Amino acid sequence: MPRLSQVITKSSLLTALLVVSAFSCLGQSTTGTVTMSATVSKFVEINSGGAVTLSGNSGGGVTTDGVTNSPLAVSINLGELGPSNTNNFVSAQVPLKLRSNAAYVLSMTATVTSSGSTASRIGAADVGFGLGTISRTGLGVNAGADTNATSGDPTLAANGSVNGTTGRYEFTAVRSNLNAFSSATTALSGPIIMNAVPRSNTNGLTVPAFFAVKPQFFENGTTTISVTFTVTAP
Amino acid sequence: MFKSTKGILTTLAITALLMMSASAAFAQTTGSVTMTATVSNFVELTSGGAVTLTGNSGGSIITDGTANSPLAVVVNLGELGPSNTNSFVKLSVPVRLRSNVAYQLNMVSSVAGAGATSFSLKDTDVGFGLTPAARPANLAAGVDTNATPGDPTVGGSTDANGRWVFAGANSTLGAYAVSGQVLTGPRINQAVAANSATSLTVPAIFAIKPQFFDPAPAITITAQFTVVAL
Repeated sequence: MPRLSQVITKSSLLTALLVVSAFSCLGQSTTGTVTMSATVSKFVEINSGGAVTLSGNSGGGVTTDGVTNSPLAVSINLGELGPSNTNNFVSAQVPLKLRSNAAYVLSMTATVTSSGSTASRIGAADVGFGLGTISRTGLGVNAGADTNATSGDPTLAANGSVNGTTGRYEFTAVRSNLNAFSSATTALSGPIIMNAVPRSNTNGLTVPAFFAVKPQFFENGTTTISVTFTVTAP
Repeated sequence: MFKSTKGILTTLAITALLMMSASAAFAQTTGSVTMTATVSNFVELTSGGAVTLTGNSGGSIITDGTANSPLAVVVNLGELGPSNTNSFVKLSVPVRLRSNVAYQLNMVSSVAGAGATSFSLKDTDVGFGLTPAARPANLAAGVDTNATPGDPTVGGSTDANGRWVFAGANSTLGAYAVSGQVLTGPRINQAVAANSATSLTVPAIFAIKPQFFDPAPAITITAQFTVVAL
């Protein structure tokens, strides 16, 4: 009988030990998790692609030049646009630099205000415009085909001519003058520009924006031409 | 017959009496208590405390670490595209280990929801490393072996495509798509009570360099640590 009691006691102790061990094991943590969420938003950027080139001007000059990779805020005095300027065109070439991690659309809106009051004053249609050769070069720049909605350099012979009826020089090609951009209008579009590279990579898509005015017997006065480029990710 | 039975009973009675007398003559003077026990392998992983998030744009700590509690941290790293102009989005997660035997800390990780083009954020774009310090005197002596190169924000460079590459082997989550060893070492704790706070605390660092990744509104990065006894 005492032996039976001893066996029962031992069994009880062993059971208790097992239970305690089981509880101890359950309380031991051997795994852990770190969960991170994040976002990559669409990113599009327009900056200056560098210094402006002004040619064919009489008087005038670049008042605020473009600085590569800085916000585009160029100011140019085109000088004399009347017949005393004997150059073929007064041209300003403004380098643009675009970067994106998504497909982009570059649109432009322009206004031309003149102190003149007659039909001979300088108007939006007298200011030629076009985007030149698009360059996707440099480390980290994605290859892709861009769509230029303009006709290129407005001074090209194919893009304008003298109106046979009025004698006024006109930029006649598609979207070759600022009259086509009185409201925001697409000038350029294309696929993703940058590969997965850090923002500190300064490369991007560069394209020159050409503005040209043919000196003519415009009504005398002052003229202000204002152009705003906007890049979006549709 | 009756006589015979009486004789047998008498004999048995005498025998019993003799046995009882013998027991009384040899008195019990010793006793024994026999105990059995076990010390099992013990390894434990818990949070080492609050996490640290830096370089984020719009991110936040959703569920912070609490020292000595199960590790279940949730963090929003925020914007990882180029609009985040910081050099790195960096998360430091203190991991606390205790053991009475040699241990091995493993990790397995995944990246989801980032897209599938070559410009999408990959597991190789998530830097990772441990930065264990020398063990303090109140722990068992020993040297821990770090299988990672340490802080992933140290070193690194751009590759031929301009993409950021973290320096060294095992420096990104790309090395841990399947469970892999990140730290090993000998017994951590001395023979101290289970409620002793002494432990080995190791910062686990995750880092991402903001880049022109493909847009992705909901990226999820998970890392699961497991400690096992060797």
